[in-house]
Amino acid sequence: MTAIISIQNLNKVFRAKDGVSVHALENINLTIKQGEFVSLIGPSGCGKSTLLRIIADLIQPTNGTITVNGKTPSKARQDRDYGFVFQAPTLYEWRTVLKNVELPLEIMKFSKTEREARAREMLRLVELGDFAGKYPWQLSGGMQQRVSIARALAFQPGILLMDEPFGALDEMTRERMNNELLRIWTSLPEMTVIFVTHSISEAVYLSDRVVVMSPRPGRIAEIIDIDLPRPRGAQTRDLDDFFHLSSRLRHSLREGVGAND
Amino acid sequence: MTTIGQPLDRSAVPSTPPNFRWLRQIGGTLLLLAFLALLWEGAKAFARANNYALEIGGLTISLSNFNNEQLPHLGDIARAFAEPAGRGAPPLYQFLFSQAMFTLWEAVRGFAIGGVFGFALAVLFTYSGLMQRGCLPFVVASQTVPILAIAPMVVIWMSRAGARDWAVPMIAAYLTFFPVVIYTLRGLTSVPPTALELMQTYAANGRAILFKLRLPNALPQIFTALKLSATASVVGAIIGELPSGSQDGLGIAVLDFARYYNQSPPRLWATIATAGLLGIAFFGAVSIAERLIVRWRAEESD
Ligand SMILES: Nc1ncnc2c1ncn2[C@@H]1O[C@H](COP(=O)(O)OP(=O)(O)OP(=O)(O)O)[C@@H](O)[C@H]1O
Ligand SMILES: [Mg+2]
Repeated sequence: MTAIISIQNLNKVFRAKDGVSVHALENINLTIKQGEFVSLIGPSGCGKSTLLRIIADLIQPTNGTITVNGKTPSKARQDRDYGFVFQAPTLYEWRTVLKNVELPLEIMKFSKTEREARAREMLRLVELGDFAGKYPWQLSGGMQQRVSIARALAFQPGILLMDEPFGALDEMTRERMNNELLRIWTSLPEMTVIFVTHSISEAVYLSDRVVVMSPRPGRIAEIIDIDLPRPRGAQTRDLDDFFHLSSRLRHSLREGVGAND
Repeated sequence: MTTIGQPLDRSAVPSTPPNFRWLRQIGGTLLLLAFLALLWEGAKAFARANNYALEIGGLTISLSNFNNEQLPHLGDIARAFAEPAGRGAPPLYQFLFSQAMFTLWEAVRGFAIGGVFGFALAVLFTYSGLMQRGCLPFVVASQTVPILAIAPMVVIWMSRAGARDWAVPMIAAYLTFFPVVIYTLRGLTSVPPTALELMQTYAANGRAILFKLRLPNALPQIFTALKLSATASVVGAIIGELPSGSQDGLGIAVLDFARYYNQSPPRLWATIATAGLLGIAFFGAVSIAERLIVRWRAEESD
């Protein structure tokens, strides 16, 4: 398997105007293989979003090397190698659901017929086919987030970067969305997912590997392999291994915080 | 099965039919007009009952401003519309209508010039912080100079340039470009950061960001500006006509009827009412355009 994302000795220091600097990421080393589902977990402020945004070339690392698809993040962004799902749905309120999903395709100069065909297909994938003509305000929060996932998938990027996409949802909806995400990921076997979350069960349920991060300064405390069988479903949550991995993850998170206090 | 996370079709929820809102709006306006009319005629009746003077503690306050000369009855003003504008002339309403159309054409041209110019400045300021810092103070300062002081200059310039017909529209444009600059600039720059980052993740070029994000984001504010500009352009056109040496227009009619006020006060009042109606009509037209274009806004559930 080829490494799709490779990060070596990466640091990020934010320098505020008042001279106080925040060491958001310290000496990060991480390799992610093609087709992997990797979660980033850790307490608030440990640099999960920062790491994801560096991969996406939305911000620049202070030093260290990073390659995405064997290129610089900037080149990968120019080549539209990844789709990004923000914590908030970030839909454009003046566009219908269908037109929101078409947005990246418009920018990437797809033909009108292809745009619409693809957008409709993606909406079917997230089970919102009947809502193509609605405006975002007519949808619930969970539905809006599904639209934003459809939008990220519309141009079939090889990498999906997701920053706490289900953070604002209730537990039931979140589990439903987890299953939908796994179904989509399984149907696109080449697609790599990097998924930021606060939820231990979500991380264990979805991932091949979980990257545990600790705060101040943000670093990788541990990387845990999740060797639960796939396909995963309701029965997965009842497995003994699911409990073991969850409690291991919980301990790892606790230590990560404790080590710095 | 549970319904959590299931599609929730809010459009299926019954809401007050929109016609009710219209009715209530119109009803409110009529009520307000009736109240103002009552106030007008009430003040006149009160003044006449007191012989146009009020004594309070030895002080005499003149109420002569409420006599039929200074403040005609509303009925007399309404009647004036139907009476001939002069000896052997067609009725006043016909005369005022053609003057209003003349002024409207000036106002519309001014509105268009001011709108395009204001919009272009706002786009320029959005992309150049240097231009914004350098020029925005002058844009603001331009509005502190009274339009009456500038109007004669503009008339002279435009006449010398052989474009006399454009003098009044230019004066109207002077009033209308300002709100367009300010509101459009705010609309173009008040884009949520994540909405902009989304564009970055698509490696969108500046053109796409302007037309697919900044512009639609600014549309509600642009329409707020255009509604202000619509009424301002009518005011600007009427004021601009005064020094323009024009033969036509509501501003000229105001001058004429003011000169012959003693002969027939209601005519001037009828002209003033026409000017007000013209401004409201232009405002209404822009509001309708807004309704047609800014359609995505959630209906208020009131
Ligand atoms: N633009 C910025 N300027 C200055 N400091 C920043 C900036 N962005 C993040 N930080 C700091 O970097 C640290 C890591 O932030 P980051 O947003 O990556 O955390 P996170 O793990 O995503 O937290 P959360 O779970 O709350 O989203 C924090 O201490 C934050 O204050
Ligand atoms: Mg975050």
